[in-house]
Amino acid sequence: MTTGSLATTQQQRPPFYRDAVVLKWAVQLAVLAAVIAAFWFSASVGLQSLDDKGIDADFDYITESVGIQIAEGIDTKPNNGGRALWVGMVNTLRMSAAGLILATMLGVLIGVSRLSSNWMVSKLASTFIETVRNIPLLVQIIIIFTVFTVILPGFRDFEDPFNEVGPINGWLHITNKGVAMPRPHIADGFYQWAIWLLIGAIIARFVYKNRANARDEHGGETYPGWIALGVIAIFAVIGWLAHTVFSFLGAPIQTLSDLIGRVPQAAVQIALTVVAFAAAARWIQNFFAQRRTPGGSARLTDDDWFRVIFAGLGAVLAAGVLWVLWPGLSSWIVNSTSDLFRVIGDKFSAERTGAPLGFQRPDIVQPGNFANNGVQGLVLTTWFTALFFGVVMYTSAFIAEIVRGGILAVPKGQSEAAAAMGLSRMQSLRKVILPQALRVSLPPLGNQYLNLVKNTSLGVAIGYADLVTVGSTIGNQKGQFLTVFPVIMAFYLTCSLSISAVVNYFNRRLAIVER
Amino acid sequence: MAGGEQYSGVHVLDPEGVDYTGAEVEATTVKPDDPPMPPVQWMKTNLFSSVANSILTVVSGLFALWAIRGILGFIFDPERRWEALATNMRLLLVKSYPFDQMIRVWVSFAILLGLTGLALGLSRSGALAPVSRIASTARNVGLFLILVGFLGPFELGGRIRWWIAGAVLVAVWFGVWRIMGDKARFKMVPMLPFTLVLLGILVGTLWVFPYGDYRFVDNNPTFEAGTVAMTSKIGWSSMWLTLVGAWAVGVAMSRSSFGVGLRKSMPLIWLVAPFFVTWVVMRDPDLDWDHVLSTDIPMFLGFAAIGGVILFFLSKPGLGEAGRLIAIALVVLGLATWVFAFFGWAPLWPMLQKARLSFLLLGIFALAAPTFAGETAKRLRFAGGWVGAMALLHYFATMINTTSTLEIAEPSFLGGATLSLFVATMTMIFSFPLGVLLALGRTSKLPIFRVLCTTFIEVVRGVPLISILFFFVIGFSLFLPQGMSMSQVAQICLGYSLFSAAYLAENVRGGLQSVRRGQFEAADALGLTGLQRTGLIVLPQALRVSIPPLVGQLIATYKETSLIYIVGGFDLLTVANRVISNQSDFLGAKMEPLIFVSFLYWVVAFSMSKYSQTLERKLGLGTR
Repeated sequence: MTTGSLATTQQQRPPFYRDAVVLKWAVQLAVLAAVIAAFWFSASVGLQSLDDKGIDADFDYITESVGIQIAEGIDTKPNNGGRALWVGMVNTLRMSAAGLILATMLGVLIGVSRLSSNWMVSKLASTFIETVRNIPLLVQIIIIFTVFTVILPGFRDFEDPFNEVGPINGWLHITNKGVAMPRPHIADGFYQWAIWLLIGAIIARFVYKNRANARDEHGGETYPGWIALGVIAIFAVIGWLAHTVFSFLGAPIQTLSDLIGRVPQAAVQIALTVVAFAAAARWIQNFFAQRRTPGGSARLTDDDWFRVIFAGLGAVLAAGVLWVLWPGLSSWIVNSTSDLFRVIGDKFSAERTGAPLGFQRPDIVQPGNFANNGVQGLVLTTWFTALFFGVVMYTSAFIAEIVRGGILAVPKGQSEAAAAMGLSRMQSLRKVILPQALRVSLPPLGNQYLNLVKNTSLGVAIGYADLVTVGSTIGNQKGQFLTVFPVIMAFYLTCSLSISAVVNYFNRRLAIVER
Repeated sequence: MAGGEQYSGVHVLDPEGVDYTGAEVEATTVKPDDPPMPPVQWMKTNLFSSVANSILTVVSGLFALWAIRGILGFIFDPERRWEALATNMRLLLVKSYPFDQMIRVWVSFAILLGLTGLALGLSRSGALAPVSRIASTARNVGLFLILVGFLGPFELGGRIRWWIAGAVLVAVWFGVWRIMGDKARFKMVPMLPFTLVLLGILVGTLWVFPYGDYRFVDNNPTFEAGTVAMTSKIGWSSMWLTLVGAWAVGVAMSRSSFGVGLRKSMPLIWLVAPFFVTWVVMRDPDLDWDHVLSTDIPMFLGFAAIGGVILFFLSKPGLGEAGRLIAIALVVLGLATWVFAFFGWAPLWPMLQKARLSFLLLGIFALAAPTFAGETAKRLRFAGGWVGAMALLHYFATMINTTSTLEIAEPSFLGGATLSLFVATMTMIFSFPLGVLLALGRTSKLPIFRVLCTTFIEVVRGVPLISILFFFVIGFSLFLPQGMSMSQVAQICLGYSLFSAAYLAENVRGGLQSVRRGQFEAADALGLTGLQRTGLIVLPQALRVSIPPLVGQLIATYKETSLIYIVGGFDLLTVANRVISNQSDFLGAKMEPLIFVSFLYWVVAFSMSKYSQTLERKLGLGTR
């Protein structure tokens, strides 16, 4: 019977060139083939034309010296292209991270101001928003940069620029090369002090819970946050004076490091193999346990058997890697663990008696004909500052509009209810309105964060040493645009995807839990 | 309902849940003004309602005064060299377009203004506003001018001039109240003619006030006080006359059947206008009439006639399989011409580029033919559409391929503001269809299309525009086969279009997702084909929803044209930041042109965003 009806269906099937399924797949495959062919063709043409110019498209620039100097960053004279790109990436990340924080704060402030009942405040906020977001960011950055170079004093404006630069010599230098100020840094006794802070934080946590419980049970304000902060502050102060107490940790950690260093390679290999096989066995055990029903074990499908076999194979594979393919891995683990503990032990050695934190004051140096502005301290160069202000103001105008939209989306009853409960305007904004507004504004806020990170690439116009600037310099130097380009793309894609992942995570956390 | 959210990408429901149906919108636009509040009471409610508020008012007020004073001090600083801007205005707007051919720029501008006026007149657009609102705007401007008189760095004489100007505007308001009283709140004035009159007054001042004549003579800046160049006077006056005339014609025709037809074809005219203005008016092709008569026109006639006949045949109802097979054959033929050209086998089958384009277009039309099947009149219209498409294609292809008469050393005859505008317009035109296609692909049920479109959209959206522009300007020529090349402007436009298309696609996708399932099912129940369902049912609804974000994307694209500066095109920003400050006469004059450029960008972007807010309110989006 079944075969009969199947046969009739087959008879009713249209010819293959009218069959929707066949056509759909044919068209899709044809387009896919065309796309692949186009890529393949362009790649071959591109390689050919590079070859005609005598350039080999390769990634050698990563390890070769590129001979460029970078104006600012973790390394101003990188000795190879990879390092130079890394400096650019760090500069981009630094700018983005600082920008994200400030733009959010400024944006929320302006967005709330725009809804203020005070005419003056709301007019100021809306003037700011309408001005800033309707002028291209690039124009704004260039204007800010030009203003800085024009209005800030140059080194020539000082009588003795190599020794005396204002406004407060040695503490705050403001010149058209940027702003230099003292830089706090981790000093000698920091790690001993950090242990004090850690202990303080643990105690503060208990104190906080205790105070908060007291408030919830008996009513009345118990200031849990302030008291917890006070506890940490007390420990910080004591630790600052008595951080050498923890120097006794140095010797045992060194001993531990020596002990780890003596572990034979085979021991690690055996241990890791045992772990791998144990994990596989456990996984298989759990798998069977899942398949067990009250009526006995369920029948395993082919797919299930494959999974079991793959789990076992995974353990065998791990053992193969450990013993045959890469035996060095185990000794590397031993050595690096030992090194790590040695470094930590050194941080706690008895000789480290200095202050936990230090300040490096700006100091003017003169490597060539030109004075350098306080290279020792924390220097906000003109490029950094101009790009930073531009990006922050521009993004904050958009964030302000998002925040405003979010607040308007909170039902009016919420603020009325908050007022009825006797919350002040500030309290109701902080505890009732903004948390609910955040739920609406988080997805577009995430978009703005993405835009901010991408917009930092405009630094190339004023010469801020971000990834695009460094990348295009290397590309020019080596004629390797085609291979530098994917690195830049990959970096920004990674940034974008990470930001979206974080935003999506919080979006899920904030979503209303429905019954 | 505030529209700013749309522009920034947020979609917010009206908090009070007001349903803006059409009738109510009509009511809100012509709503009489609220009765005025006495100043003391106004200040009490809006500025000094509580102690904290009063402090806030004083602090922010002082900040505002300080900021205004700083800005005025900067603008009217005697060290500012605004003459650098005035002398270089031509450079900023059209770069090195030949001076003796400048009439072409005016004509182009007139065409665009005329179309604007015609469109405004035909649709009888323009809101009504109560007289009292106009009067109070005048009063506010007047008060601001008086404030400027106090804060600006002027001599006493200058201050008095500002005060007089401000006092006149305040007096206007006062007069309106004395004469009309409370009636001013209910008397409505159409805003559009009012604005046109204001513009006319502005243009008229060119004939009255001696603004001065700044220009380059033999590369030396000259300044002649007490006069305005005749070219400016006549030019701007005729621009105004064109605008007003076209508007009046539009209004007069708007009720006639011709006017209605014209209004319906306005989108097509707007689409063609940028091409016409750039390649025909501004570029001025030097037509070789022998070639036109011997090749171009016969070619067009051939394609139009043969293609028309084929399409008329293909749109016959009930043609079935044969029609499809012929259409597919035509598509293969069209693609083959391109493949031949691309792999350098063109000598085997030589033809002009426009012939290849025509073949490809014929294939696409043939595929769409069953959708237009019907009675003879409908089929004739379809064939007529083909002839029209051919006419446009062959006309522009001929014009673009003919050498220009312009004697210009630059690789491109566009520069300064014209280049920025051109890139923005081309991006808009090319990214829109691409964006819609990408959005359809991303929401399609066909997995390979979906993956391809999603990958493209996400990759493009994940990287900065500048890296894409760098790729197209520096790297793209490497990928072109031997003997093919692309001008820098075209590369820039291509980069912008692809970038913008990815963003547009996401906006359109939002619209597509808002179309209810029932609409698809209803279309299927009616027996529409997939193409008809998408084109006639789904897309119109989806696009309507996505208009506000699309306008937002438009504004973003317009602002992004400033990035041409980085990749080395000669756009507005390049002239302002690099060229003028390097002229020996205006060395270091950077801020003045930069401020002018930001003002230009601001005016356009601001009015577009305001327009998008109005549009959003009119469409009543987010409330249905």
